[in-house]
Amino acid sequence: MNLSSAELVQGTLDMLILKTLQLEPRHGYGIAQRIEQISKGVFRVNPGSLFPAFRRLERQGWIKAEWRPTENHRRAKYYRLTDRGRGQLKTETAEWTRQLAAITRIMEAS
Amino acid sequence: MSFLTSLTGGIRDLFRKKQAEREMDEELRNYLDATAQEKMRSGMSREQALRAARVEMGSTEAVKEGIRGAGWESTLETFWQDLRYGVRQLRRSPGFTTVAVLTLALGIGANTAIFSMIDAIMLKTLPVDDPSRLVVLRWAAHTQPERNGTSSFGDCDRGEKHNPSGCSLPYPFFELIHSQKDAFSSATAFAGPASLVMTGNGLARIASGEVVSGDYFSTLGVKAVWGRTLSPEDETPSALPVIVLSYAYWQTAFGGSNDVLGRSIQLNRVPATIVGVAEPGFTHLSPGKSPDLFLTISAIPSLNVPWGNIEAGMRTYDEWWLVVVARLAPGVSLVQAQAAATLAFRNAMLHGEKPRSKEADDPKILLLPAQDGLVGQREFFAQPLYILMCAVGLVLLIACANVAGLLLARATARQKEMAIRLAVGGGRLRIIRQLLTESVALSVAGGALGVLFAYWGVRVMTGPLVLGKTDRPFPFAIQPDWRALAFTISISVLTGLIFGLAPALRSTRLSLTPALKDNGSLLSGGAASHRGRWRLDRALVVVQVGLSMIVLVGAGLMVRTLQNLRNVNAGFDTHNLLLFGINPTLQMYKGSQIQSLYQNMQERVSALPSVISVSYSSDTLLSGSLWTSDLHIEGQPEKSTQEVDMLATGADFVKTLRIPVLEGRAFTPADFDIAAQAAALREAAEQEPAAAKPSTAAKSPAPVSPTVPIMVNAAFVHRYFPNENPLGKMLKQGDSNSASGGSFGSAPNIRRWAIVGVVGDTKYDDLRREIQPGVYVPLATGGAYFEVRTAANPSSLVPQVRDIANRLDSNLPLFGVRTQTDAVESLMTQERVIARLSSFFGLLALVLACIGIYGLLAYEVARRTREIGIRMSLGAERADVTRLIIARGMKLTALGLILGGIAGLALTRLLSSLLFNIKPADPATYVAVTLLLAAVAFLASYLPAWRASKVDPMVALRYE
Repeated sequence: MNLSSAELVQGTLDMLILKTLQLEPRHGYGIAQRIEQISKGVFRVNPGSLFPAFRRLERQGWIKAEWRPTENHRRAKYYRLTDRGRGQLKTETAEWTRQLAAITRIMEAS
Repeated sequence: MSFLTSLTGGIRDLFRKKQAEREMDEELRNYLDATAQEKMRSGMSREQALRAARVEMGSTEAVKEGIRGAGWESTLETFWQDLRYGVRQLRRSPGFTTVAVLTLALGIGANTAIFSMIDAIMLKTLPVDDPSRLVVLRWAAHTQPERNGTSSFGDCDRGEKHNPSGCSLPYPFFELIHSQKDAFSSATAFAGPASLVMTGNGLARIASGEVVSGDYFSTLGVKAVWGRTLSPEDETPSALPVIVLSYAYWQTAFGGSNDVLGRSIQLNRVPATIVGVAEPGFTHLSPGKSPDLFLTISAIPSLNVPWGNIEAGMRTYDEWWLVVVARLAPGVSLVQAQAAATLAFRNAMLHGEKPRSKEADDPKILLLPAQDGLVGQREFFAQPLYILMCAVGLVLLIACANVAGLLLARATARQKEMAIRLAVGGGRLRIIRQLLTESVALSVAGGALGVLFAYWGVRVMTGPLVLGKTDRPFPFAIQPDWRALAFTISISVLTGLIFGLAPALRSTRLSLTPALKDNGSLLSGGAASHRGRWRLDRALVVVQVGLSMIVLVGAGLMVRTLQNLRNVNAGFDTHNLLLFGINPTLQMYKGSQIQSLYQNMQERVSALPSVISVSYSSDTLLSGSLWTSDLHIEGQPEKSTQEVDMLATGADFVKTLRIPVLEGRAFTPADFDIAAQAAALREAAEQEPAAAKPSTAAKSPAPVSPTVPIMVNAAFVHRYFPNENPLGKMLKQGDSNSASGGSFGSAPNIRRWAIVGVVGDTKYDDLRREIQPGVYVPLATGGAYFEVRTAANPSSLVPQVRDIANRLDSNLPLFGVRTQTDAVESLMTQERVIARLSSFFGLLALVLACIGIYGLLAYEVARRTREIGIRMSLGAERADVTRLIIARGMKLTALGLILGGIAGLALTRLLSSLLFNIKPADPATYVAVTLLLAAVAFLASYLPAWRASKVDPMVALRYE
């Protein structure tokens, strides 16, 4: 299955990006790759959605960008979760879990 | 909080835009590299991997657009970009921009100016407290109630003759209304203004004083800005005369000085105390009537207000002269109050001391909201304003059509640009937004300039250029009205939006390939897809021509009317005649004193160099005033009376005005002695019983008065003595009361006249009225206007004449000083205002329509350059090409003229009441306007046609 990001529920992409940044700062490609890997290829995020999402999150003050050298001695733009971003991730996760449980209950009810 | 972050983030990016762009590029490049690396790791070659990565990412530009679009600042930025780009585009075609902006500005300015005037004159709410509860009383009955006299001062519109009604009411009835506290919480009565000579504040001057009841100000809810207003105590018979100044008069005559309170000035030589100044907002009650000061009704006798006939019966049911305005009591509806007032009125009319109406006359009182009932001078301006409103409305339509046409043509010319922008990935919305920004920028520029035009327009319309020379300033304060401005600007912005949007939508929807390939030819079948737009283009031109035709026909009719009026033979020489008024009765002059004053004046002014002769009369001719009287004429049925025009004149009147004496003789000094004698007898007869027992005045036998010589005009002879010698025939005044409408109300008190001369016909009050049978009587008493016949410019005499008057009596102010030519001009104010302004708007419409035709054809020629080249290379003559283009322009013009003509026939009928000696469907006017429009349209088509004929086939074929 190869869902394009357009089919992601609106707002979900933002949540996924925040989640991938929870442990460490990453650059754009790293984030895309991480999402693809963890979802086992289900979500392949198009740059056309990814980069506008970064701008959006930056403006919300949930992530912060900084230029850092990469492993192969070039520089890349790394995004890192801010404190407010962490808070946002927490609320979104909680909300998501709640909704998922609800949906699951509906789907499993006979 | 996050809003703030977003705001600061956006602003930061706006400031470091270049850097942000660079970083974005770098980031995306990194991303591409990383993707490619990954693909190479899975075995692709370097090129393959790079290509695959690019394909996955899609257009880098689109991604960047997406990123830019994620922040709010991009909207602002795009707008700013659009605006800058739009302005640049507009500056690139200065011709288009200038024409469009000017067109809009003129349309907006003219409409705002006219609407502002309509608002100020017609719609402005009364400057009083809670005007919605204020009503004006109007009586109505099937026949005129019995009474001695009625006076109105232009506060309400006059009733019709067959269905009598009016706002003038007798004092006792006002008292009745005043006491009806259940229906009316308060009521006031007023009349005037009266002319008063004010002395004791610099030079003697005439002030206009509104005569009001004591609770005038409290009923209206108007306060004093200084001192106090009038109160009921000021109205008691023992009270000393007090006055309240209007704010404007306080400013102009007293320089707004603080020490006016308690100051004593003299009105008609009687001391009166200034007790207050009304608040500045209270400029008028009846629109256009702004009295200088206010005095109480009880001050009429003590201040010698020269209202002779009113004064005698001012507190009886005999004289109807007061306008009554009342405030509805809380919780009382208009209908309830009306019923109460009607009951009181019926009782007074049917069952009073002396019944004045019959049961069948159904006398009643109607209550009108004061806002609608008190029309004042509104009526005089209403018709011109509404006609001009139509004219400017049409001009605005033409302007919008013009701009729409321009925008359409421009959009077509830019179709290729649009196609390219779409092809390289410009969003459709973005392009539409850009086009809209451009047209809105245009409209806003037009609106801004329109504001200036509106200011200027109001100034011109209320100034001497349009209104002519008047001794009074324009009676309404007019500010450009912001609502009207907003309205007209929104219309033009809407035009911009609609006619900017339509082509924008169309050009962004088109399939790209034909548009890119389009070589601007109508020869190809591709033209079919343009047909829709072309039809709109042409329809707009047809509409413009048609609308211009209507405006021009209207203007033409008014100009012809003005000409016809100017060409009217007045019956006397109106040139080199100086007029001025003087009223010695205000200064307590009596009988023979008046006579000798006038003779002195006449002698001294005659002695001035360049003065040919001098006379005086009760009114000047062609000044709008008219005095008619009902007389019995010898040879007519016994006891019948005929209404004739009357004018009292001094010696040398016909000589000074150059009215020919046809038969008999003009007045001699002896005639005036007889007239004076008769007047004296009559005055004595009136005074005597009036002092003792006023109600029996009419019954006391008057002494036999001498027969006074008179002159009549040719129309009089023609009507009453067609086949007889009129000389020596007798006239007498019947028992019925004489109606007088002249400036100096009191009729010369003569009973018996004999014709001694016949003079040529003249127009009397204005130029439109047919010449009626008229009688000239010797002037014996009352105020007078002087006529000074001069050899040269009469205005230069004014200082000398003032000097003479000042030396005769420094307390006698001159008024109405003007030349006869100016007086005639001011009679035609309405016609002149409409003729001048509608001509201006007509020309404007003509120019706009021309621009429309020219624009359409010029654009078409530009588009068809290639086609024209081909035609010419195939053998078409230059003349053929010229003809082709001109024919196209003229066809549209012809269609517009036909439609405009039809619409004009329907619309100009509304003008009929203003026209003079010309029919609304006047063929000459229609032909002239058609020819004018056709000629101008021909010129407008000729220029592009000429340009087309100059096309070089070789160049044209290589074109593009």
